[in-house]
Amino acid sequence: MVTSVRAATKEQTETKTRPETQLAPPWNVIVHDDPVTLMTYVTKVFMQVFGYSQDKANRLMQEVHKEGRSIVWTGAREQAEIYAQKLQAHHLLTSLEVVDA
Amino acid sequence: MWWLRVAEGFAFGGLDAVTLETLKGVPMLLESSDVRVRERLLPETCDDAEDEAEWRRHSVPELERLFLSRAQLVRRDLAGIRKLANFDAHVMLIPDGHTNAWLASLNAARLALFVLNDLTAEHMEAEGYAKATTLQQSAVLRIHLLAEIQSVLLGDLEVEDPGVSFEDFILE
Repeated sequence: MVTSVRAATKEQTETKTRPETQLAPPWNVIVHDDPVTLMTYVTKVFMQVFGYSQDKANRLMQEVHKEGRSIVWTGAREQAEIYAQKLQAHHLLTSLEVVDA
Repeated sequence: MWWLRVAEGFAFGGLDAVTLETLKGVPMLLESSDVRVRERLLPETCDDAEDEAEWRRHSVPELERLFLSRAQLVRRDLAGIRKLANFDAHVMLIPDGHTNAWLASLNAARLALFVLNDLTAEHMEAEGYAKATTLQQSAVLRIHLLAEIQSVLLGDLEVEDPGVSFEDFILE
């Protein structure tokens, strides 16, 4: 009886804690193209928000413009949300997505 | 419209009635409660409904506060627009410390004009513009007008620097 209670408790604990001990998946910060926002403004925002070099910021801006969207940063959810909020503060069309395993 | 670098920031002059009206619309557009404007300035961000609800709960209120605070700052600068005594011309100063707030607010206003007038990417090009309604054409022109100010602030357009303060320039 005692053994079975222990076993049940152990099983419940494992079930409950497993998701918390798994590594959280990274999130993508995506910027989408729009026909209004100036290209040099997008580059400036990327440099300002992420601290990217002008070359990298310009390359990402070109990707947004030509491909319609660009993954501009990937990493932990909390930081991704902070970046997305900063980009939306500048009115860049921004979304977040969980990276598929 | 012309522009100059002055000690305190950027001076914009030769502001005609249309430009003044367009500029005065910037804070109003930023504060707009129109659903089309809100959907563009505070867009859906996450695919997952629960994540989106959390985003709306935590991030959107901060963005709303930021937009309102920028609208107030822009409105204060607009209240400082001066009419030159000997000319039929208005002059505005955008102080250096306000450049980022202005850049973002001008972008917001341009996006708002775009959605409020049912514009498409085609309307922004010459061929589409010709097919647009009068109201849409007016909105496109205002969008370009605000873009010109953004371009000055971004350093995309040449800016003369006579080495004077805004007040000295006004008095000259």
